Amino acid sequence: MDKLARPLDADRRNYRTLAIVTAFILLIPVWARAIPGDVLHMDIVNIMVLAGIYACVVVGLNLLVGYAGQISLGHAAFFGIGAYTTAILCTRVHGFPTWLGVLAGAALSGAIGWLVGKPVLRLKGHYLAMATLGLGEIAFILFQQLKGLTGGTVGIMDIPPLSIFGLKFDTDLKLYFLVWVIVMALMLLSINLIRTRVGRGLRALHSSEVAADAMGVNTSSYKVQVFVLSAAFAGLGGALFAHFQKYINPESFVIAISIMFITMVVVGGMGNIWGGLIGVLLLTFLPQVIQALPQWIPGLPSGLQSFSNYELVLYGLLLILFMMFLPKGVADGLGRAADFGEIRARHLRDRRNAKRLEGR
Amino acid sequence: MMAAQTLLEIRNITKQFGGLAALKDVSFDVTAGEIKAMIGPNGAGKTTMFDVLTGILSPTAGEVSLKGQSIIGLRPDEITAMGMIRTFQTIQLFEGMTALENVMVGCHCRTRSGFISSGLRLPASRREEKQIKEKAMAVLKDVGLHTRANEIGTNLPYGQQRLLELARALASEPDIILLDEPAAGLNQYETGELATLLVRFRERGLTILIVEHDMGLVMQISDEIVVLDYGEIIARGAPQDVQNDPRVIEAYLGIEA
Repeated sequence: MDKLARPLDADRRNYRTLAIVTAFILLIPVWARAIPGDVLHMDIVNIMVLAGIYACVVVGLNLLVGYAGQISLGHAAFFGIGAYTTAILCTRVHGFPTWLGVLAGAALSGAIGWLVGKPVLRLKGHYLAMATLGLGEIAFILFQQLKGLTGGTVGIMDIPPLSIFGLKFDTDLKLYFLVWVIVMALMLLSINLIRTRVGRGLRALHSSEVAADAMGVNTSSYKVQVFVLSAAFAGLGGALFAHFQKYINPESFVIAISIMFITMVVVGGMGNIWGGLIGVLLLTFLPQVIQALPQWIPGLPSGLQSFSNYELVLYGLLLILFMMFLPKGVADGLGRAADFGEIRARHLRDRRNAKRLEGR
Repeated sequence: MMAAQTLLEIRNITKQFGGLAALKDVSFDVTAGEIKAMIGPNGAGKTTMFDVLTGILSPTAGEVSLKGQSIIGLRPDEITAMGMIRTFQTIQLFEGMTALENVMVGCHCRTRSGFISSGLRLPASRREEKQIKEKAMAVLKDVGLHTRANEIGTNLPYGQQRLLELARALASEPDIILLDEPAAGLNQYETGELATLLVRFRERGLTILIVEHDMGLVMQISDEIVVLDYGEIIARGAPQDVQNDPRVIEAYLGIEA
């Protein structure tokens, strides 16, 4: 029986980590407020809302890429579909409940994910990458050209703040709690998925589609389902984004955003549910930190403030470096560092004990 | 003697790859409860036949029925659910999964929790998870791998990986199992163990169709042998008859008859 106990413990550890991380994240605004205003030169809560929104996308994308081994270079499309759906509904239909707009965004995104995923997921590897890249581009052009619906390049303005049963999420702080509770709920859902039957099926198809098929896993259906799930998560993120920014235009859903999502998954750790979260936090904060540097350290070129023009270069560089040196991402790197530290500590302890014995 | 019941019926299977016929009009039956061997030189079409039987390839012509039902055009997972499963010539364990998890995947077609039930951890899903774990552990015990349950499958010694593949297939509760060179790479002792195991499974009612190059093993355990060469059946019958058939000797040794 004790042989069976170990994987159960791993499960319990996952849930405990979730609880700790949730508590930690919910406390961040308190700390952010405790720090005197002008020290950081950035609005932590505001950036964290954006990070939480991205996390919705990345958690789903990690299921698709990291666990099921499929690729999507076009998830900004679903992010955009979610955003435009709620934006159009809430600005055009008078009195349309915003929470319903968000749900509609996620649902429509999932539905389009199903329509697109069914044919596209027959492709593998590079071909799937190309097809999803094309999907992202098509969506971007549609956002620009369906002017009557999307407002073209100008976009949609005056999107009302999200309100749920009379509770208005009209400040960053309120939105912060809502978004991160949603992220944690999506995390919980993902953890449940990957540790049970469906997750084993996804991991099996990642490892060998032929073997997974032969062992009774309906791989084509699993691929479509996980694609739909990731599209719905992305749509949910996009809808929250629309209500957070109050203004959207096609620029928020360009290919670069798709690449950013993938970079977050890769940097954090493909196939590691926590890794995705680390990737999101790192890549959302990194540009902000670089832009704030000249204010922290006098004498740095102020040109860094226009760093956002170079973000794509950073993503590209990170992708290359991580693929070369840390293909399993930061999460794996941290794990290995911890292992190394433990071995090192044991080694030092052994040496100390040996010395003590010699000394006698 | 009980009336022998045909479990798997293979009728006039032809498989063309472009101009090359990998299988030409092959027909044979597998009777419930027997161990049937399919042998032949490399490239004779044995693995192609397995791929056709398990739905990985569709035949150019011909018919296959399992328990009286046609399985042509069904997906591999549907055929597995109907009670026919295979192992692979090159070991195909799932990477990064423990031995136990590998076998748990084998339980897939006998369980049903989907994305919603698993994601929300509904009671049905929890119950099923417990059953899957117990079942997988029992199967591991059956092949003697229960002490390695929590080790990563692909880290096990080669012989144990073969056993693990067998266990994973058995977890699907098959009526018939197709073994593609299960003794490849095993030493003599391990092959002997495998033979004992297979005979034990047959006694329990499992039907086995085996492709194998280890003639010692084939002769020892099979009830009947089908010999393929260049995609055609050149001989069939009891082990000792096949062994002395001049066409078989020619196919294997290339002697002019």
